[in-house]
Amino acid sequence: MELFANLAHGFAVALTPINLLMCLIGALVGTLVGVLPGIGTIATVAMLLPITFGLPPVGALIMLAGIYYGAQYGGSTTSILVNIPGEATSVVTAIDGHQMAKQGRAGPALAIAAIGSFFAGCVATILIAVLGAPLTKLALAFGPAEYFSLMVLGLIFAVVLAKGSVLKAIAMIVFGLLLSMVGSDIETGASRMAFNIPELADGLGFATVAMGVFGFAEIIRNLDAGAEMNRDLVQQKITGLMPTRKDLADSTPAILRGTVLGSILGILPGGGAVIASFAAYTLEKKIAKNPSRFGRGAIEGVAAPESANNAAAQTSFIPLLTLGIPPNAVMALMVGAMTIHGIVPGPQVMQKQPDLVWGMIASMWIGNLMLIIINLPLVGIWVRLLRVPYRLMFPSIVIFCAIGIYSVNNAPVDVILAGVFGLVGYWLIKHDFEPAPLLLGMVLGPLMEENLRRALLISRGDWSVFLTRPLSAVLLAIAAFLLVLTVLPALRAKRDEVFTESEN
Amino acid sequence: MADTMGHSATATRNTSVAIGFCLLAVAPQIFEFIWSIGTIFGWGAGRGPATVLISHATALLAGAPAAIFGSVGGDAKKASSDVLLALIYSYPLFVVAILTFFMTIRSGQDYIGGTMLMALALFALWASSDLQGMRGFSFGAGTAPRMFGGLLVALGAGIALTGLLAEGPALSHYSWRGPLFVMASIVFFALAIRPLGVVVSAFASFLIAAMGTHETRWIETTIVGACLTLGCAVLFPYVLGLPMPMFPRFLVQ
Repeated sequence: MELFANLAHGFAVALTPINLLMCLIGALVGTLVGVLPGIGTIATVAMLLPITFGLPPVGALIMLAGIYYGAQYGGSTTSILVNIPGEATSVVTAIDGHQMAKQGRAGPALAIAAIGSFFAGCVATILIAVLGAPLTKLALAFGPAEYFSLMVLGLIFAVVLAKGSVLKAIAMIVFGLLLSMVGSDIETGASRMAFNIPELADGLGFATVAMGVFGFAEIIRNLDAGAEMNRDLVQQKITGLMPTRKDLADSTPAILRGTVLGSILGILPGGGAVIASFAAYTLEKKIAKNPSRFGRGAIEGVAAPESANNAAAQTSFIPLLTLGIPPNAVMALMVGAMTIHGIVPGPQVMQKQPDLVWGMIASMWIGNLMLIIINLPLVGIWVRLLRVPYRLMFPSIVIFCAIGIYSVNNAPVDVILAGVFGLVGYWLIKHDFEPAPLLLGMVLGPLMEENLRRALLISRGDWSVFLTRPLSAVLLAIAAFLLVLTVLPALRAKRDEVFTESEN
Repeated sequence: MADTMGHSATATRNTSVAIGFCLLAVAPQIFEFIWSIGTIFGWGAGRGPATVLISHATALLAGAPAAIFGSVGGDAKKASSDVLLALIYSYPLFVVAILTFFMTIRSGQDYIGGTMLMALALFALWASSDLQGMRGFSFGAGTAPRMFGGLLVALGAGIALTGLLAEGPALSHYSWRGPLFVMASIVFFALAIRPLGVVVSAFASFLIAAMGTHETRWIETTIVGACLTLGCAVLFPYVLGLPMPMFPRFLVQ
């Protein structure tokens, strides 16, 4: 029963006052970010990276993790009450959630969203604890060839699950890989594509690019549409949080299905909370006896996606903690946070840093509990925050981001670089390129290059090593299979259908 | 619906796209020229504007063609970096620009996006052209960048091709006000933070950024900006203990 010993150890770490405080701060900031549209999880985590400098590593990661799953809760609140999804993950929740609110059932909708999220969070926490150790053992059997193939698989997953054109998603990944090569070469020390600019010698900072592409670009894009976003604030009195017996009966299977689906999609590289909530909603609609109820206030349409996004947000920590491979952009930033604190993510983290890993896992459960308390009774406060007009919010975000980037390295050039990447991100948005695969490519770039080089060095330049080693061959075969499937017309249509759901 | 728009509209559109690509093809050269003007005033180290102009012009007009024919003739003379830039980056883009004249662009969004991605990749190929390639079976510093650069050129070309073959959205509208003022605010902050400190640079940047929309009401913006500046001045240096100057250097001394 090593598992329980580990979990007990984790709770001992997570329950220290400082870590509890960090968890609370993370959950609060996450909820705030989730509630406010126009500022996303990725930008926030990037913005808060420098803040974690002064903190002990465990506390820092607990806080950052709290922001990620806290945002999933916060996003649902505004989706339901005012039909403004604060996060991409709760876009589908707005469809049925807001209808319920219009019918005067905002209370039950909020309660079910919270209960579903909490349940999913608990399951995901246990899943991380259970899967952590065996996956770590598996990871130790991995050689460079297998690592390379695994990362290829991860990137292909990112392509399959990305929105829009497959070609564009692959191009974004390769663009990210190229960006990751700016700076000194690890093996030879040669300066690559740095144009003799000393600030580029160390490479492009990951947080810098993330902040530009997700923070600044998003602001510029929002300004396009005019600062006054459509916010018809109809603040209902929320009466009676308790769902009826029928609500509970209807939503229990939906919560279970959403949790399972979300957990799986979270573990898969390239997945994450956004795709999980879409997929869960689509699944519910498919298997419902009476699909026409959806869009008119079906409680399953709230329960399933909310459980799924929370489950996915947490299980996406599994590949990061066990294999050292971030499955999505937020996890990539977590890698950044870990490296700042001198921790190299990978299979050895579990053994060498048990405090960190198990403390973080335990804190997720505690954080979920806190989030229920933060969200349900305080719902009025969060909604009131939406009254802050965007014309005041966006300059504040710009300044906060600028100070944040500056303080990472005390380098003014980083701030300008982030601005340039803001323009790049704006350009990407205009041409319908998705920035998330770019970020994933950028994080995996150095790892991929290193393992590719090492694998070829060991095999003495023989490229067939990726196919002759069984594990690597299987991984590559899955990747190829997925890519072929995605390009097939039948599946393409289905994939587009899932995404168009979000549009209306 | 696109057909009823008339053919002349596409034709004029094509010309401007082609001209845009030609400009893109010499953008690095132009950038270096503008940058080199600074050396007159003693900013930065680099070639003077006259040298830049002459060397790029000769590279574009004479050096690169000579290098092409030279390499055909078996001349192994090492080409200079300006000639390589013309060869690797500018010429392929000129070719694309010329081809653009004869094409019907079905989706401006894809065609222009793909081509610009191609330009980025070509530029990366040029930037990594001075790095060492494969040494036996081990990777040199330049192998991976060239590999991914080549791949990105192909992908960019593929995307541009879909823009020619399949109907799709036209180039969407770019606005100037938001990007301009947000960028100005960021650049101002970067330049001012060292000499002027957090208080002045944050407040001024806030006001500059606020100009990004015409809906700004100045009184409330000033008040919020002041409060935010105060908050940041307390939060970052004191609560979080991050080292940064608070006030302008000349006031502190």
